[in-house]
Amino acid sequence: MKYIILFLLVAFSIDLSAQQKQFSKDDNGKFIYYKVVDSQLLSKDTLLQRAKSFVNVVYKKSMKAESITDTSILAKGTMVIDKTILVAGHPSGEISYNFVFEARNGKYRFWLTDFLYIPYQRDRYGNFVATTRIGTPLERNPGKLNAGAWKDVVNSAYNKIDKFGEDFKKYLATNRVEKAKKKTETISTKKW
Amino acid sequence: MKKFLTAICAMASASCALAQETTTSPLEISGSVDTYFKYDFAKNPLNGKTSFVTDHNSVSLGMIDIALKKKTGKASFVGELSFGPRGQSQSIPDAAAGGSSFNIQNLYVNYDFTDQFSMTAGYMGTFVGYEVISPVGNFNYSTSYLFTNGPFQNAGIKATYKFSDKVSLMAGLFNDWNVYSATRGVSAIGGQLMVAPVEGWTAYINALSGAGYGGYGTIIDLTTSYQITEKFKLGLNAANYDIKDSSVQGSYAGAALYPQYAVADAVTIGLRGEYFKAKAYGTTAATSTTAVTLTANVKSGGLTFIPEVRLDHNSDKPFFNKSGAIAPNAGQFSLAAVYAF
Repeated sequence: MKYIILFLLVAFSIDLSAQQKQFSKDDNGKFIYYKVVDSQLLSKDTLLQRAKSFVNVVYKKSMKAESITDTSILAKGTMVIDKTILVAGHPSGEISYNFVFEARNGKYRFWLTDFLYIPYQRDRYGNFVATTRIGTPLERNPGKLNAGAWKDVVNSAYNKIDKFGEDFKKYLATNRVEKAKKKTETISTKKW
Repeated sequence: MKKFLTAICAMASASCALAQETTTSPLEISGSVDTYFKYDFAKNPLNGKTSFVTDHNSVSLGMIDIALKKKTGKASFVGELSFGPRGQSQSIPDAAAGGSSFNIQNLYVNYDFTDQFSMTAGYMGTFVGYEVISPVGNFNYSTSYLFTNGPFQNAGIKATYKFSDKVSLMAGLFNDWNVYSATRGVSAIGGQLMVAPVEGWTAYINALSGAGYGGYGTIIDLTTSYQITEKFKLGLNAANYDIKDSSVQGSYAGAALYPQYAVADAVTIGLRGEYFKAKAYGTTAATSTTAVTLTANVKSGGLTFIPEVRLDHNSDKPFFNKSGAIAPNAGQFSLAAVYAF
């Protein structure tokens, strides 16, 4: 039995290592996270409204809209990436990015690019703070001495950005009004 | 074996990720270890007049330091322990039974009343000064005279208000310097004004008045650093400490400049130029020291390799030469390895 469990764990871990995705590159050689999503039941206005809500409400602490038109949103944002030590860890840095969203009837696309990395360091009180305000482009080659550590940074950044992308798609696919109505359902045990 | 451990860690991480969907953030663990070799050109360890890096011609211990932090909603705590010469008798008081230290560098709780206003209480690293105890927080491995003669810890309670990203103000009540328990009551008042006039430039104006080293005194300190370009950073620390009783040793004034230049992605060269004056007390005259320290930081992942050369001068001859006679100059070479995790 223990060998079966061990086999499953090894197989799972192999699957994990094979799944590490990476950023694509745009025409200028910059890392880009680009998604086109078919959303045939939703109008352009609905998609835009939900995207605005995502940027201005859900992610208001880490994103700031720069420009909003009737078909697009441009925003800037930051997200903290972590360094994991066994089951715990700490913030290791932050990634700033530019976010672009464009909508049509039944379809939308979004991408994140211009990723800049700012490393964190522990301050005198034990808290992690930015060591500089000048970010390093994620595409940069760090040299041999820091190649391993940089790869971890890029992988962590991708995982965080990918999660952001999935959260965004889920948010756009969800009707907030219907979800709010569902929460008010109650069950009566008087009649059955 | 490596894949087995990877799988265990992955499953544990997934569990932590699920837990993160509540208002609790996971326990943060971080720390550092460091070791060094120092060679005094006069072969005399007594020429080291500043903190840490005390041994001569020995591969010596710095410290192992571990910090825990957890945030639940608006409340958080930090607990930081350290072991080793740098992390015990050289930086924190021997206050436990049997003359050993509690091994505590930071132990405090924090509450964020709002996004702007928070309060912190406990035993904390000092808010005064440019350099810190942890080797991870300093560019140079040896420390300045300003650091050595200033406070290391300030236990107390403080409130911080963040007006904006560019301005914040802290005010608090503190025990005397560097003690776990107050010896003269909570009798010091301190404050810090932080300003960030432009992107990359941060300045702290610090003041601490009350029970401190040598009695009751007031310290005023300016700590500032400016990342002028991607490669060039300039830091400055200036401080003045006056003890009320002018017959007691310990008052001082000084300034240190810290230019640093990144010559490559992994290599930065820095210079520390310091002027330090120990003020007159009783019938003892003032004495002044200048020190120049040239340091390199070579980084590879979490490891930083720090070669350093330091030259000190004081015309009152507090140093020793090779034959043991008093001398106005001292020089040291050191190599340190610091790993931060």
